[in-house]
Amino acid sequence: MLNVLRKTLQSPIISIQRLFNTSPILSTQKFDIKRIPLDDEGVQGEKIVDLDSVIKSKQNLFPTLESDDTLFDGIPYKSLPICNIRVTHNNTIITLTDAAGTVKLIKSCGIEGFKNTKKGTNIAAQTTAISLATKAIDRGFKTVRVKVRGLGPGRLASVKGLQMGGLEIVSVTDNTHVSWNPPRPRKARRL
Amino acid sequence: MLITARLLANRHPQFIARTVFVKNNNVDDACRMVNRIIGKEGILERFRLNQYYEKPFQTRRRINHERCKAIYNEDMERKIKFVLRKNRHEPFPGCH
Repeated sequence: MLNVLRKTLQSPIISIQRLFNTSPILSTQKFDIKRIPLDDEGVQGEKIVDLDSVIKSKQNLFPTLESDDTLFDGIPYKSLPICNIRVTHNNTIITLTDAAGTVKLIKSCGIEGFKNTKKGTNIAAQTTAISLATKAIDRGFKTVRVKVRGLGPGRLASVKGLQMGGLEIVSVTDNTHVSWNPPRPRKARRL
Repeated sequence: MLITARLLANRHPQFIARTVFVKNNNVDDACRMVNRIIGKEGILERFRLNQYYEKPFQTRRRINHERCKAIYNEDMERKIKFVLRKNRHEPFPGCH
């Protein structure tokens, strides 16, 4: 009995004493729909890229029906010279061909003077690309489309080198040969 | 239509797939985009797998491992989503 009395007495006193009510308001009483945050679309990191959004935002990045006949430097896309880059772990070979595929220029890291393991470095690839580009400009090639095949250290460097050498690159294509039902590959390396 | 005709005429048509145009002389971006595409489509993975012969027992082990990983990742993702969820109807659950 006493307890109950005390509680009833105390409760008004407490409410008077406490001018600041730090406890949160009951959410059911003051529920506002605006307090629900919007859908979080996430922060776009460096590694995580949503290709769909890129496709939506940037047009003319990928070839279409008309891209074959669009003019680049006065030449339609389909008759631009092609720069084929063959990248392996141990070497990088760059050839410049016309649109039909006949080879006009050929350079590799080995030709450039790098020997043995030095052939398979990005620096070798870049210098090779630069020297090929300068030679190509002498021959009268200005704008090219690039086809890259294979994986290796020279993959990015060689494309970069072509640009540094002064060639204008219209497009970059990956031409790595892949098959989902290939003939039996060579036996695995024993490490 | 035209594209199908082109595909029928040539078994390996060039400069259609895995091609990115360079914009504003920004070759790096284009290269990165190409790499991203071939990475996402699983072409790089295939290429790497086909470089050396993978014995059947290795294939089995790899696939089992991938399965386990996928299950674990799915559960973990759900868990993280649950812990980090922000859209609460009651903003302060259990605080009254």
